[in-house]
Amino acid sequence: MMSTLDTLTAGIEYALYAAGAFFFLAGSVGLVRFPDVYTRLHALTKADNLGLGLVCLGLAVRAGSPVVALKLLLIWLLVLGAGATACYLVAEAARAAEVAPWTRGERR
Amino acid sequence: MTAIWWAISEGDTAALAVGAPAALAAALISLALHPDPLPVVRPLGLLRFAGFFLVHSVRGGIDVALRALKPSMPIDPRIITYDLRLPGNTARVVFTNTLSLLPGTLSAKLGRDTLEVHVLDCAGEVTAEIARVEDRVADLFGVRLAPHAGGAC
Repeated sequence: MMSTLDTLTAGIEYALYAAGAFFFLAGSVGLVRFPDVYTRLHALTKADNLGLGLVCLGLAVRAGSPVVALKLLLIWLLVLGAGATACYLVAEAARAAEVAPWTRGERR
Repeated sequence: MTAIWWAISEGDTAALAVGAPAALAAALISLALHPDPLPVVRPLGLLRFAGFFLVHSVRGGIDVALRALKPSMPIDPRIITYDLRLPGNTARVVFTNTLSLLPGTLSAKLGRDTLEVHVLDCAGEVTAEIARVEDRVADLFGVRLAPHAGGAC
């Protein structure tokens, strides 16, 4: 039998998942719609940072254990570090290959 | 390192028999491989940095999500060159990566004393925003920076 508290926790949990999924989706939309490699990297790094953070937060609520929450925080930070580094490497490679950034007024 | 292992094994103390020596070895090896002395992170600075990072992560995610989803797609991107004030490679790398995760800015190339930043929307005080992030990273390592000269986007 679920108590009111359980129902509330589950509600918060699923709200966090939904919010996280929204930002992943928005990031993917940006990946498709944005005009060049640099702007697409913006969409991926920012939206996924927040999306994964929200999903991890939801999972931490579900786990209800401080150690598991700490582990999820660690996962989030490691993915952020890897994501930001990979993003920098792609951007730097694009600069080295002299990929001109898209500017306003150009056709997409 | 050992604390990280403890978290990964979900507090299983039996796993420490394997984890503790491995963590110690990993820490020693990475210290030996690291070219210059590691700067010390200040706890209070870390706390302030974490708060700043969380708030701006949320702002950054919402900002880019709205720009991607709006039919008009309001972006005005440009690459600007930012004059670095932070000393030391480690602090600069932390700054470079942090900037990429925060609203509207993406680190493209770390030069000798400059950082090329791709800006998603040139409207507003972009350089001042970047300088604020640099101030936070400086605070993290207990460094004081002179005010940034600023510059146009």
